[in-house]
Amino acid sequence: MFTDFEQTGMTTPTDRGRLRADGGSGAVDPPPIDVLNEDSLDPATLARNAPRLETVVELLNQPSLARVYVYVCYWGPVGPPSVMERLELSRSTTYEYVDRLVDLGLVERDESVRPQQLTADPVVVVEQHVPIVITPTVLHALALQVVDEDVEFFVDRHGVGKLVAALRGAGLHAAGKTTYRTVASDIDVRETEAMMIVDALEPALVVGREHDPYFTHLFPDVGDEMDLPAGTALERLPSREERTGE
Amino acid sequence: MVDEPPLAGENEVLVDANVFFAVGRPSNRKYDRFRQEVTRTNTVLKLPHRVVGELGGPETERVETALDEGWAEIVDAPDVEDGDALAASDIARRTIATETGSPEHEVEKADTVLAGLAIQYLRDRSVESVVVLTADIPARNGIVNAAESQGYADAVSVCGVSDIVGDDPDDSMTLI
Repeated sequence: MFTDFEQTGMTTPTDRGRLRADGGSGAVDPPPIDVLNEDSLDPATLARNAPRLETVVELLNQPSLARVYVYVCYWGPVGPPSVMERLELSRSTTYEYVDRLVDLGLVERDESVRPQQLTADPVVVVEQHVPIVITPTVLHALALQVVDEDVEFFVDRHGVGKLVAALRGAGLHAAGKTTYRTVASDIDVRETEAMMIVDALEPALVVGREHDPYFTHLFPDVGDEMDLPAGTALERLPSREERTGE
Repeated sequence: MVDEPPLAGENEVLVDANVFFAVGRPSNRKYDRFRQEVTRTNTVLKLPHRVVGELGGPETERVETALDEGWAEIVDAPDVEDGDALAASDIARRTIATETGSPEHEVEKADTVLAGLAIQYLRDRSVESVVVLTADIPARNGIVNAAESQGYADAVSVCGVSDIVGDDPDDSMTLI
C-alpha cells in the first residue's frame, strides 16, 4: 500500500489563527494554504484517505500490532504458526492481531493453502512540510518497545516523535556522521539516554536496510554508509533465552 | 598504531561512556564478554568525569556496574591549562567537525576530551602506550589525528567495541 495522503497538512484552520502569548502562531510551522484546494478537500478524496489515516494511527498507537505487521511485511509470506513462534506470542494473541491487521487491510491472508499464508505491503507516509516520515523501519522502531526495555523507557519518557528523531540519529551515527553527544543535543535528551537509544535502535536499521523498500526515504544521504552487523547472519531470530544467555 | 591485542600488557586504557552502551545491558552476552576481556587482562578502564556525564539515571546502570565491580574507575579530565592536551583536543574537534559536517563550535566538548587526556597520560606518566576506546567513529578518527600531529602516533591505539569483543554471531540482538 502506498499511503499517499493528498497533501494534507497537520495544522487545522483553528491552529492557524491561534496566537500564543509570545505573539507566535499556535501552529508549529503552518503549511502553505495553497496545498488545500477544491480537489484536495473534495469529500470523496477525504473519505478515501480516512481509512489509511486510521490505519497508520492504529499502528502508531499499538506497538504490539505494529510488531506483527512489520514481521509479516519483512518475512512474509509466513503462516500464523511462524508469527507465533518467532514473536513468542500465544495462539489467541497471534490470531487476534492477524485478524485485526487483515481487517485494517494491512495484511493479506491467503487461505487457499495450509497453513494460511500472510503477506503485507510496506506502508509509507511522507508529509513533506512538517516533515513526517513513516516507513516499516519507523514502525519497527516503535515495535521494539514491546521487546526492548531501553526503547520502552525512552518512549515513556520522551514520546514517539523523539523516537523517530532518535532513529534518524542512530542511522547517522552508524554512518559515522554524528556522535552520541551530538544526537543528545540535537534531540534534547540526556547524553546517556542518547547513547542508550542509538544502540537500542540498531535492530531496526540492520533489518530495515535489507527489508524496507522505503529505507532510503528516511536515510537518503547515508543509507549505504552504515557500519552495521550483517543482517543475514541474524536472520536466524534466536529465542529469548539464547539472546540473553539466561 | 599498536598491533598487539588492545588490552594486553600494561597499557593505560581510556574509555568513553558510550562503550558501556554499545555493549548493551549487563545481562547481555556482549556486555559479559566485554567485562571478561577487561578483567582477564587485569585492566581498569579509565573513564574521565567529563565523558561520563551525570550518573544516576536508570540507563546508567551499565556504567555503575563496571565502577562497582572495580573494572572501571573515574579519572579527572585533562587540566584546562595543559597546552598539549588542549592542542590535541583542538585537532580532534576539527576532525569531528569535518567528518560530521558541523561547525567546530557545535562539536560537543566531551567528545574531544579523550584525545587531550591520551596525550597528557603519555607525556606525564611514563607509560609506553595508551589505548583509547570509543564507539563514536568521528571521535576515533579525531584521536588518531591528534596523536599523529603530536608525535605519538605509535603510542596511541584507538579501538571500538568490536576490536575488544569481536563480532560473535551468537550474541545476536533481538531483531523484532
